[in-house]
Amino acid sequence: MTELSKLQGFMAELLRRRGALPKDAELSRLVAQHVSGNDRLSPIEQLEIYREQFWLRHTSALVEDFPGLGGILGQEDWQRLVEGYLLERAPTSFSLRDLGEGLPAFVERSTWLPERRLCTDMARLEWAYVEVFDAPDAGKLEPDRLAALPLDAWETARCVLSPALRLLPVRYPVADLRRALKRSTENGEAVPLPAEMPQNLVIYRGTNLRIFDKEVGDAAFGLLHALAEGEPLLTACERAAAVAAARSETIESELQGWFASFGELGFIVDVRVEDRTDPL
Amino acid sequence: MTEAPRLGAPDWGVGVGLRVPHYRHILSRQPDVDFFEIIGENFMVAGGKPLYHLERVLERYRVILHGVSLSIGGPEPPDRDYLRRLKALVRRVRPPWVSDHFCWCGAGGAHLHDLLPLPYTTEAVRRVAERARMVQDFLEVRFALENTSSYLAYTSSSMTEWEFISEVAERADIGLMFDVNNVYVAAYNHGFDPYAYVRGIPHRRVVQVHLAGHTNLGKYIIDTHRGHVIDPVWDLYRETIELCGPVSTLIEWDDEIPDFPVLMAEAERARATRDGALGQAPAHVAVPLPERADASNDGAATGAERMWAQGGPRELPEDAAPFETP
Repeated sequence: MTELSKLQGFMAELLRRRGALPKDAELSRLVAQHVSGNDRLSPIEQLEIYREQFWLRHTSALVEDFPGLGGILGQEDWQRLVEGYLLERAPTSFSLRDLGEGLPAFVERSTWLPERRLCTDMARLEWAYVEVFDAPDAGKLEPDRLAALPLDAWETARCVLSPALRLLPVRYPVADLRRALKRSTENGEAVPLPAEMPQNLVIYRGTNLRIFDKEVGDAAFGLLHALAEGEPLLTACERAAAVAAARSETIESELQGWFASFGELGFIVDVRVEDRTDPL
Repeated sequence: MTEAPRLGAPDWGVGVGLRVPHYRHILSRQPDVDFFEIIGENFMVAGGKPLYHLERVLERYRVILHGVSLSIGGPEPPDRDYLRRLKALVRRVRPPWVSDHFCWCGAGGAHLHDLLPLPYTTEAVRRVAERARMVQDFLEVRFALENTSSYLAYTSSSMTEWEFISEVAERADIGLMFDVNNVYVAAYNHGFDPYAYVRGIPHRRVVQVHLAGHTNLGKYIIDTHRGHVIDPVWDLYRETIELCGPVSTLIEWDDEIPDFPVLMAEAERARATRDGALGQAPAHVAVPLPERADASNDGAATGAERMWAQGGPRELPEDAAPFETP
């Protein structure tokens, strides 16, 4: 390793430290070997400017991407959470957009958190928004593509779901809570935390590039899951029917309605039919 | 050695940074702007609103690419995936040059998202020049590096900052993105003559100039890109244009971003200053160091006021629309 690389490694470690750099003699001596200082700022004070920026910049980026989580926790717990996260997981991506990728899992592991299950749901929701926001663009399924599919093709045909779609089962109504928290920043009204109420959320980017969350029933959610896993259409429908069996005798018309809706909302962007032509 | 001014890069006049709060104004009013500069990293995404907005701007305006994350002087060489994504963006935008910074951004795999200064040593010259040449070859477009604002200096530096950037630019045969405000900030923070800097660089290599406001905390100045360009920086800019000739100039305003007409008024001031400088012979007069602000105001600023950011706010999902149920 070159002298320059050693210096940079030394500095990078100091810049990621939480809390102001101590002005003790040992660190002062070490830093002064590399950083000049001047008549206004000591070498440590010069380095401290950059260390402070590291924390301001990264905590601000997380606040921007996880306002709902911050709203649940309040300032003190939020600060403790993101500091722990940044200490455990150094940013590695060139883009601040990726900074929160590991936050949902970190929240889930943070056993000290009040309302941890609610917080985990919120973090997963907010990360889904980030992912969906700039996911690849995709076209929209032609309305008659599915209807025109021969019956035997359903055994092998597979739907392609939009890359700007996430399937998110949650235990709390976090999308509604997030909207309420956002309103509360404008009107100042306190927002009560909700009781458990499991939901199947589809987070997706509409064809107008706006982001939506849609709650769907268990069977429709099962169908989407099966399609997302690459199951053939027939198998996916059978899985949905199995979920719906206990309560529905009209699964066929429900399936038709779901497929029409999924196509219209842009959930399904293509149908791929396996070519069974004998190559010989 | 290339003798053409600006290494043959075109003079695009006076532009402004493309920032999220102005999208609506720009796309609906279509104001006359010579060119926009985008922060490349904000558009190195797969799809959605950022690329939609970029395409709409490209339909009407010239756009230049400026990066903040290359980390050309870091311990590890520039990230290949980053370069591939940057090249894809270059192909989309087709700018006459692409720029980043004389800096490093992290070590040991950590990306600190800052423009950390390099020591001005022969080892750093070698490292940065070799990589800059490689980046320019890979991108297949003129590459330029920008002098940064800095808040610390190294004991190991063996040359001035302007000697350092000149040596790298000559060795790598790249352009200079010359940030006049950064010269002023660094001169203030490190106590050198900013005019010696402006006069000491290879002027024919300057392909673009940046101008911006900053925040003076007394003991040091931070390059916040907040507020108007101050008069001593306008004076330095005039000197720069007198020495370099007509160079594309850009106003950066990334914090407390004003309404678009305010930004354009700043660009018009740059245009007037530029036009004035181009009608004058260079005036090589001794200029005193900038006055220090009252050091007693240090510590009065809040953390947010001290924070600096490149490129203004990111476009966030929330900017696209409040989250909705269909």
